[in-house]
Amino acid sequence: MLVTTAFHDEGHGYDLFGFHPATAARVARVVAPLYDRYFRVRSHGNERVPAGRAILVANHSGVLPIDAVMLWLDILRHTGRLARVVADRFVPRLPFVGTWMARTGAISGSRANVRCLLERDELLAIFPEGVTGVAKPRAQQYQLQAWRVGHVELAIRHQAPVVPVAIIGAEESWPMLLRIGALHPFGAPYLPVPASPLPLPVSYEIYYGAPIELHRGLAADRADDPDVLAEAAARSRAALEALIAHGLAERRSRRP
Amino acid sequence: MRVLVTGATAPIGTGLIHALLADPEVEHVLGVGLEDAAPLTDARFSYRAVDLTRARASHDLIHGPARTLGIDVVVHGALHRAARDRGDRVHAANVETTRQLLLECERQPLVRRFVLRSAAEVYALRASEPNLLDEDAPLELDPRAPQWVRDRVEADLTVCARMGMSSLRVVVLRAAEVLAAGTGSQLWDYLRSRVCLRPLGFDPMINVLSIDDAVHALWLAAGRSGQGVYNIPGADTLPLTSLIARSGRRDVPVPGPLLAPLYDLRAWLVGFQFRYDQNLRRFHFGGVVDGARARADLGYRPTIRCVG
Repeated sequence: MLVTTAFHDEGHGYDLFGFHPATAARVARVVAPLYDRYFRVRSHGNERVPAGRAILVANHSGVLPIDAVMLWLDILRHTGRLARVVADRFVPRLPFVGTWMARTGAISGSRANVRCLLERDELLAIFPEGVTGVAKPRAQQYQLQAWRVGHVELAIRHQAPVVPVAIIGAEESWPMLLRIGALHPFGAPYLPVPASPLPLPVSYEIYYGAPIELHRGLAADRADDPDVLAEAAARSRAALEALIAHGLAERRSRRP
Repeated sequence: MRVLVTGATAPIGTGLIHALLADPEVEHVLGVGLEDAAPLTDARFSYRAVDLTRARASHDLIHGPARTLGIDVVVHGALHRAARDRGDRVHAANVETTRQLLLECERQPLVRRFVLRSAAEVYALRASEPNLLDEDAPLELDPRAPQWVRDRVEADLTVCARMGMSSLRVVVLRAAEVLAAGTGSQLWDYLRSRVCLRPLGFDPMINVLSIDDAVHALWLAAGRSGQGVYNIPGADTLPLTSLIARSGRRDVPVPGPLLAPLYDLRAWLVGFQFRYDQNLRRFHFGGVVDGARARADLGYRPTIRCVG
């Protein structure tokens, strides 16, 4: 199942970032029952993911980033590509978790990391809401939180299309009961306390939107212009909001 | 090209001298070291035993033999190698020597190029920015860092600060750790034990450089006309556990807080140079220098592996 077209072996079976295809394949097998049976993930429009460099931009939710894992496996299964999930900066501090994420292709979003991967025509998966998305209260489900502009800066600087991805279902699967802001385990911004001990088996629908060429007509150095970034970020946000609305409407229409 | 090489009796210095002498365009090489005996004999090679920590000695070297021989390129890589040594003498060997040599080169009109072999250890490794370190990555300016690191940062910045300030063309090579004996390699020392302890739950990516690639990078830097700061990665990038296994050692994960006292005890009992406090962040978060700039400007690509 694991296609390694994007794999740049540094000579010992790993890439610069610690991605290891055999470990990733094992993780994919372990996660498959969750994907197939627990969350019953359905994928829509994955043929829209372009072949070259691109940036997937998705909504984010849940106590733990299960939506990122499902997106990673969905891309792997349907496109044969490896989505390099850009993890939050505290993730490498987590014992075992940081290493396993690196082995499956996740990276930290530093400038040098993402530049290297986009220059190699790889596929990035970014959650511009970041931790604010994971921590969103139940009343704000499917409402995009703080929308960082880093993904549009990358898109313009590296001339890469942005593909909006709406993940429907994840936002109900594991609601947060409370956040303990005084505790910062391994540098995390808070200690999450979920409303249920395990995520609920809500079915996932992953919708891929049409690629947006935010860089069209813009030179790479326009990525330094805050106004350009703000306008481009508004476009990517609007595209994802529309896709989320479409996904929610589709789900409602299928329910008896 | 006529080249002065400091650290001429150390493995990288000797290797560089051999590489330069193999180049027919190199007219003469002047080796400088602390030992009395020259590392090799060749009609185009001469050797001086000089204690560069003495300012007068640096002055006399650059304005004396170097001028007489028409030296136009100086390659400086003679830094103190033992990580557990500290104090004013070590600082003088690492920093004052570099500063003095650079100033004398600026004042001597025949010298047109100064190359410093710096180290990737000058970069601050952080959980927030692991993986690739380009030349703009933050430097390790923590005053609690071991002197071995602080001295290298100071020497590096001393040279960088002179870039563009005189007619001298300055190149700083931030080289990955050379995994070989006699180079001051922390990993080499670490891997001398049959059992290698590492932090439980972490397996960072490590990049190491061979002596041949380090020599090649210095040779390229000496011969090119531009100036700047360049990362020099090695051909081996692999997880710490793989490095331990491929070195035929046994990997034992241990809770992180126990490692520093255990390795301090080892150093006290056996006299090894490996310092866990110096490698703590590298053993948790890794950090591989990005060689894109050296590839584009110098034509440097690592090719020689040193891990089986």
